[in-house]
Order: sequence, then C-alpha cells, then structure tokens
Amino acid sequence: MQTTVVGNYPKIPNRPRPARLRQAINRRDRGEITSEELARIEDEVTVEVIGEQVEAGLDIITDGQVRWDDDQTYVTRRLGGVEIGSLERYLDTNTYYRRPEVTGPVSWREPILVRDYRFAAENSAKPVKAIITGPYTLAALSLDNHYGSREKLALALAEELRNEVQALAEAGAPIIQVNDPVIVFNKDDIEIFSRALTRMLNGVQVETAVYTWFGSAAQILPALLDLPVATIGLDFVSGRDNWEAVKSVRFDKKLGAGIVDGRNTRIESLEQIEESIRRLSESVPPADIYVNPSCGLEYLPRETAFEKLKRMVEGARRAQPVAA
Amino acid sequence: MPALTTNAVGSYPKPDYLAQARTQFSQGKIDRAELDKLERKATEYWIRSQEQIGLDVLVHGEMERGDMVAYFAGEPGGNPIGGMKLGGLVRSYGNRYYHKPIIVDRLTWPGPMTVEMWRYAQSLTDRPVKGMLTGAYTMVEWSFDDYYPSRRDAVLDMAPIIRREVEELVKAGAKYIQIDEPAIHTRPNEDFDLAVEAMHLTVDGIDAEFHTHICYGEVEKIYPDMLRLPVKQIHLAFMNTDFEYLKLIEQTPFDSGKDLGVGVTDIHTRFIEKVEDVKDGIRRTLKLFPPERLWIYPDCGLKTRTTDEAEAKLQVMVDAVRDIKRELEIE
Repeated sequence: MQTTVVGNYPKIPNRPRPARLRQAINRRDRGEITSEELARIEDEVTVEVIGEQVEAGLDIITDGQVRWDDDQTYVTRRLGGVEIGSLERYLDTNTYYRRPEVTGPVSWREPILVRDYRFAAENSAKPVKAIITGPYTLAALSLDNHYGSREKLALALAEELRNEVQALAEAGAPIIQVNDPVIVFNKDDIEIFSRALTRMLNGVQVETAVYTWFGSAAQILPALLDLPVATIGLDFVSGRDNWEAVKSVRFDKKLGAGIVDGRNTRIESLEQIEESIRRLSESVPPADIYVNPSCGLEYLPRETAFEKLKRMVEGARRAQPVAA
Repeated sequence: MPALTTNAVGSYPKPDYLAQARTQFSQGKIDRAELDKLERKATEYWIRSQEQIGLDVLVHGEMERGDMVAYFAGEPGGNPIGGMKLGGLVRSYGNRYYHKPIIVDRLTWPGPMTVEMWRYAQSLTDRPVKGMLTGAYTMVEWSFDDYYPSRRDAVLDMAPIIRREVEELVKAGAKYIQIDEPAIHTRPNEDFDLAVEAMHLTVDGIDAEFHTHICYGEVEKIYPDMLRLPVKQIHLAFMNTDFEYLKLIEQTPFDSGKDLGVGVTDIHTRFIEKVEDVKDGIRRTLKLFPPERLWIYPDCGLKTRTTDEAEAKLQVMVDAVRDIKRELEIE
C-alpha cells in the first residue's frame, strides 16, 4: 500500500505565510516583473509544495500543478489547433476554467509537461508521478469548431497526446497518470472514452493510471478494468456507489482509492481512514492499493490540505498489515 | 405588476470608492459608520440609475455584499449566520481567491442580516425594491461543512434561517423576495428533492411573491423538475444560451401557475446587445407565454461588468420592452 495524491495542491498559503505566487502573478500582470521572473517564483513555489507533500509523508507525489491554471488549458495551450476561450463553470463546482476552443486539427508540437516533470523529480526526495489530463475530458470540456463530433476530437487528442506520454516516459517518469474525470458524468460515452485512452496509452512502457472523480464509476467499472492501464482511480467520497462496485467485479488492477474528501475541510478521523482501507482490502490486495484524496486538493485552504494528507498517511500506516 | 415587468437579478458593480473602503474597513483603517455611509451612497446611486433607465421593480444592488454566500458567513460588515465563519483562502479561478465559508457549528439566525439595507433602499423610491436572499441549498453547497453529518442535515437547518430572514423582510414591507439558487443544478439526481424541500421550508405560508434565480449551467437537467419549486417566478439566463431553453419549454410546457423571468442580456460579455436582438428574444418567448406572465431581466447579476456596461445593458433591455409593448399595444 502506498500513499499519494490525485494531482493539484493549493497554490497559496494563508497568513502569516506570504501568498507569493498570487503576488507574483499580479506583478507580472502589472508589468512589474517579467514572465521569466514569474517562472522562477513558480519553480520556488513548486519546491515548497513538493516539500509539504514529502513532509506529510506521502510515498508518491506530484509537482502540485502549481503552474496549471486549470486541467484543460495547461495541457491544450501548447497544442496546435487550440485557442483558449471563455470562462466556464468546472463540472459541479463553484470554480471556473477557461474553455479550450478547437479551431483546426489538433497537433502536438513540443513537450508540454516534460520540463515540469524533470524539475520536480530533481527537487523531490520521493518519486514524482506525471499528471496529464485525459483526451475524453479535454474533448468534453472544449468547444469544438472543427471536428464535428466529440469522438473524433477525443481520438485526435489521444493520438497527439500519446507523444507527450512517450516524452514523459523517456524523461523517466515512473508513473504517468491520466486524469479523466468527466466520463463519470457522461457514462454513455464509455466506448469513446476507452478507445481514446487505449490509443493514448497502449504499449507505453511505464506504469500508467487513469483517475476519475466527483461521482461513481459503478456502471462503467468493467470497461475501466479492460483499459491498458495499471491503476484505476475512483472517488469513494462523492461516488458512494463505488464501494459496492469494487466488490461486484474482479478487481485485477491497482486501485487509486480516493477515501479522503478533497472538497471539504473536515479532517477525517484515523478510524474512518483505517476502516475505509480495510473495507477496500476485501476487494483489492492491500499491496495494490494507492491511498489518496478523492480529487485534487487545490480548492481547499493550503493548511487544511496539508493536515488532511498527514492524517491520511497516518491512517494508512495504521491500516497497513503488520509484516510477518 | 404590468405585463413585461422589468427588473434586475441582484448585484451591480461597486464604485471604486466603495471597493477601496471595503478593503480599508477589513484592515481596520475606517470604521463601520464610514463604510455604511459609502454603501448607502452607492446604493442610492443604483436606485436613481434604475429609476432613470426605467425599470419597474428595483434591486438594491448588493453594495454591502462581496460574495452572495460569504456575505452571510462573516464578510467584514455583515451579520454572519451563527455557526458559519470564513475559512482560509481558496482559489476561485485564475488568480482570484476568496475566503470560502465553513459551517463549524449548529446554524442559528443571528438577527436581521439584510433588512436594514432593504429598508434604506426602499425609502429612496416609490417603486418596489425586491428583497434578495441566497437559498438554503446554495448556502450549504458553496460552503465547506465541518459540522453536519450530511449535506441534507445542513440544508434542513439552513432553511429555517433563511425563512426567518424572509419573515423579517416581509415585516419590513417587502412584497417581492428573490431567493437565489444558482447551485441548484449541481447534483440534479442526488439533491434536487432536497433543494425543493428546502424552498418549501423557506417560503410556505408566507405572504409575499417569491422568485428564484437559477444561474446558467445544466438547466436542461432540472427541467421540468424545477417547476416543483414553490415560487411564483423562476428566472433563467436566456441570452447566454441564445434562448435555447425555449426548446425545453416547447417540449414540456412551463407551469401555468408560474411566471417566467427572462434573462435578455448576457452578463458575461462586455458587448452591448442590440435592441433588435433583445426584442427578437422577447418575441420568441412571447410565442409560448402571454406577456402578463413574463418579467424581463439581465441574465444574472451585473457586478462583474463596469458601471457603464451595466447601465447600457439595462437600457437596451428597457428600450426593447418599451418597443415590444408598443407593438402589442400594452400600456
């Protein structure tokens, strides 16, 4: 059993700690510092955020996605054929993202995430997994003015982002995780989702994962288990049906177990965390479980996110079967 | 009210002097009385502006509120609901952060939260000023919850608090009360019944005309279910979706006992709609509704626009309604 996160981490701390990134972005917007200076501060904040995840005791971390404005634009902004458009509500939250607008054939032109991965790996005492947003989610949350069907767009994105996955694998990422949550809202599209992910990941020689959140994957779990990935990430907090779903199938992959609420400030008790892990251990061998929050932690206050991770790590330790 | 009554959704942009004063107040540099004076000055501006533009029913403009939930949970200058407080900074989008409310204890009504400002705004004008509240479901959905065992428990405790505030507004003389539920389509399958139940608890048996505003989003998922909300009028953002919602209403008729609030100017764009385009939207809506059952609004609160943009959008709306009334020979 290992502990990890799903992706993003809060970008700014609360007082008395300074909100350096927020200030730096404001200063860049006012023309007081250059984009290069902002990039240096993003690096520094990334190191800080890596440090917090390591201090919380996680086994595998991410770079916190500090540089990401949102899951959609950070990945698509460097693709050909995509422009960044209007502000839209992100799924069922009170937060917003900028909607990518597909204006022509999408094309991968250069590595998007490789430099970030390398930087994080060099600055982390723990293994870093690379996170990339999935082709289905990108297609569903974009405005398509070119392909004329979500399927065509998702497959085209998958084909192009496969280059990014390969570049990340060559850079040495030990795990590449595809965050592709929107499928739980549109389960009828599971075939498109599966074809796209297969096209993106099939034959990749590194451990891969696909994570969902904000809902249950119950009806589509068998299809997820057929995907060419090592790990399926499920949200057991907002997707209550996932508890039954994992029992009703032969769960022969690793499970990314989202058992700590990434959207609420209440800190789970150790007993609750232990009990959740025990329940899941009835369906999945403990060695194949990644314990993580239900989704990215970005929309929690930073200090709460840290406390939650510490508590999660401690709960996971207590649930760990004693070595014989 | 007359056919095609014009009204606005709630918030208007704050003048710079008020935005600065709010910051200064939260830093302890000016006192409550000084902030209050400026809030009233800005409110008076918007009352006069709406009168001049020619709206039939006015809103007070929410000069005292920052966020529609956080205002009730501890924003500087507000009277927070017992059991709520503002938490640490949470990102909203881009480089914008806000103190997201947290429910930390049992919810209690803290005494009137909105009545004084409503009374002040109404004292400035002969036209009716709407009372503006945030609905129980949205209050809970847009807050963290460290206290209640379930969202249901929290919503059912929140509803009587909003109801109490409604009663105070009615006591003060408000005839129209809008209870905003922009979060109502968050979890349509899981939670819609709860949102309806909460609205019943909030308004049933109270003598006022209740409206609700449902923000843009996946409205098709809650239509026609939304007709179960026990309110006289439901307001939707039509312009932002180019009047697509009319198709839903064509397929399943709107409740004949309810009025429809029609948003006819997009609040997300700086672009000022043409009077002809707004008239076109109203005419399309009139194919499905008699004019007496329509109220005309912007799509949503205008607080993110500049004052000039907000006023221009209101003017286009009022001009379009005037033309249509002339065409229909309504007075």
